[in-house]
Amino acid sequence: MNTLSDQQLDELQKDLDAIRDEVLADLGERDANHIRSMVRLHRKLEVGGRLLMPFGFIPPVFLAATASLGLAKILENMEIGHNVMHGQYDWMNDPSLNSQTYEWDTACSSESWRRTHNFEHHTYTNVIGKDRDYGYAVLRLSNDEPWKPRHTFQILNYAALSILFQWGVALHELEAEKLSHGKSHLKEKRPFLRLAAKKAGRQAFKDYVFFPALTLPVAPIVLAGNAGANLIRNLWSSTVIFCGHFTQDAETFTEEEAEGESKGHWYLRQLTGSSNFTGGKWLHIMSGHLSFQIEHHVFPDLPAHRYPEISEKVQTVCRKHGIHYNTGSFGKQYSTVLKRILRYSLPERITRRPAVA
Amino acid sequence: MLAKITPSKAIHWLGRQLLNREDPGAFFDPLTTAINPMWAQQYTPARVERITEETADTKTFVLKPAHRWGGFKAGQHLNVGIDINGVRRTRTFSLSSSPALWRNQGLITLTIKRLPGGLVTNWLHDELKTGDVIGLSEAFGDFLIPEEKRSVLFIAGGSGITPILSHLETMALEDYPGAVTLLYYVRTQSDVIGEERLIALRNRYPSFALNIITTHEGSEPRYLTGQDLDLIPGLADREIFLCGPKGLMELATDQLSQRGVSNDRQHSTFFAPPAPAQLASTDIGGEVTFSKSNLSVDSKGDANLLEIAEAAGLTPRHGCRMGICHQCTCTKTSGTVVNRLTGKTSGSGAESVQLCISVPQGPVALEA
Repeated sequence: MNTLSDQQLDELQKDLDAIRDEVLADLGERDANHIRSMVRLHRKLEVGGRLLMPFGFIPPVFLAATASLGLAKILENMEIGHNVMHGQYDWMNDPSLNSQTYEWDTACSSESWRRTHNFEHHTYTNVIGKDRDYGYAVLRLSNDEPWKPRHTFQILNYAALSILFQWGVALHELEAEKLSHGKSHLKEKRPFLRLAAKKAGRQAFKDYVFFPALTLPVAPIVLAGNAGANLIRNLWSSTVIFCGHFTQDAETFTEEEAEGESKGHWYLRQLTGSSNFTGGKWLHIMSGHLSFQIEHHVFPDLPAHRYPEISEKVQTVCRKHGIHYNTGSFGKQYSTVLKRILRYSLPERITRRPAVA
Repeated sequence: MLAKITPSKAIHWLGRQLLNREDPGAFFDPLTTAINPMWAQQYTPARVERITEETADTKTFVLKPAHRWGGFKAGQHLNVGIDINGVRRTRTFSLSSSPALWRNQGLITLTIKRLPGGLVTNWLHDELKTGDVIGLSEAFGDFLIPEEKRSVLFIAGGSGITPILSHLETMALEDYPGAVTLLYYVRTQSDVIGEERLIALRNRYPSFALNIITTHEGSEPRYLTGQDLDLIPGLADREIFLCGPKGLMELATDQLSQRGVSNDRQHSTFFAPPAPAQLASTDIGGEVTFSKSNLSVDSKGDANLLEIAEAAGLTPRHGCRMGICHQCTCTKTSGTVVNRLTGKTSGSGAESVQLCISVPQGPVALEA
């Protein structure tokens, strides 16, 4: 990890706070219009997808309906739900966009998400042992974690995690790895399990029972389309999220490094532990602007559509302090994620490269 | 009746399952309000039918709320919600019309005075146009015409006349049996709000006595005096209704008590304008009320709301304690807080605040 003196860290904090303050002072109708237009688009895609789905016995209609519903779920999860739950729009004082009451269209309950993601992941970003998002306790992505034989074929675990992503996220707080090691008991997890079952049941009921049953003669088509839409969303969101922290140069940290740190040091960790990818406006929107993962981690509660606008300033601050700003095309970043998963499938003694002279 | 409730309950349950929200009807608002803003479900929409000038700084807005609005009793108020520069602002205003107007024509009126520097009242005066749609809450408040039909004395100051206009028109319509007197204090004759309505009432309603007193037309201010009250026949047996600025209310309460009018005969309501924004950290701290826990504690210095809650033995949900994760966001129902990160002062109305970075500035009430 880059080492900056306490004075440099203070300076870094001031520089980043200045960017944040400038955006906060400017929040207004433009931001409200952005999120409301996203919500409106989501409603159109979802209503359109649901209405078209029963006519899915015509193949092109099936594709259109599934794509529409899949895009609706992506937009709602990424650009609306994730961002609203970060409190990006709490200042609007609109009860429909409130971080504490918003419930999103995925198996994981908002309450559990706010605990594991907003708090654990965003506070302890990339701290091995503290940030359970780092590899989701399924993948070994750093030599800080001891190698075990089960890691050899972790690329298959990765594929399974991506396909079933919403269910993995829903059960994240169960901390299954601690249960199996006897570090925690199922009994303590009962309140969580009740909450998880209620939300997951609701989602399964909607997509796999209610809407198929409503259109009984074509139930299998509706069931397949709904499953397809969920699959599209699962693959896309897991891919975007993996590009955010598991690329080649995204750094990891030890618990000691993060212990009692200053705000400046927290900023430094967010800058060096995250990675962006480049693309057009709609790629950013469909990623919930997590394509600007660096900006998101530095300013998790600024409206995400502002990230592209402040990116240049964040890069200037990085250059000033000699901090690497990790970005690249989507294809390039994703290929380094796959390489990382493969590389750490193997123990350190095999993958260690001889030092270049 | 039961048969009517059951299917709607079932549909509401289904809506919650399918749409992941407690108010499933509002899910479609982004689509429906683009076609017709009166179809909003998140709040009760109301269309502005007419706007009339009462005085140089006071206007009456004639509104037509959606049919589902629940109506009101004379003297009640409601919350108005509007979006100003992307922020939903809610403020409480008295209804100045009689419930009969709502029952017969589906109309209500709000009579609103500009507050100097006030964000919402100035916006309503300058930006709201006929045909626009604003959001309303249901009516609430207990500034109501007495059930026992005693004689009544109204004491109003300035824009405090608004709920009393509603009272008077209602009492005239139902031919209220007791004597009704209004002492109305205004700065100058041109500040009288609802003058035409008051004069029309006096002409058609024989048991109503009207006394308009101007306070700032002479060389010396002429405020409420004991004599004003001594002229009211049978003062001791009347129900007294007070609505106006703080100074008038205090003066009136004082004089009434001296004349042996007990407190349970005095009914008052008034809305204080928000405190001016102050960035100085000298006046922070204050009484914090947690409504769900039914608890009130005093705080001093720059303790934030989260620390105050924890010191009081509460365990609000929280996370990072540095303003990042929004785990501790909760609803402030009233009072002003200073944001420790930005140094900014909040509004005085209901809004979301982050407990861990909000420092109270005077009394604050939280839904926690």
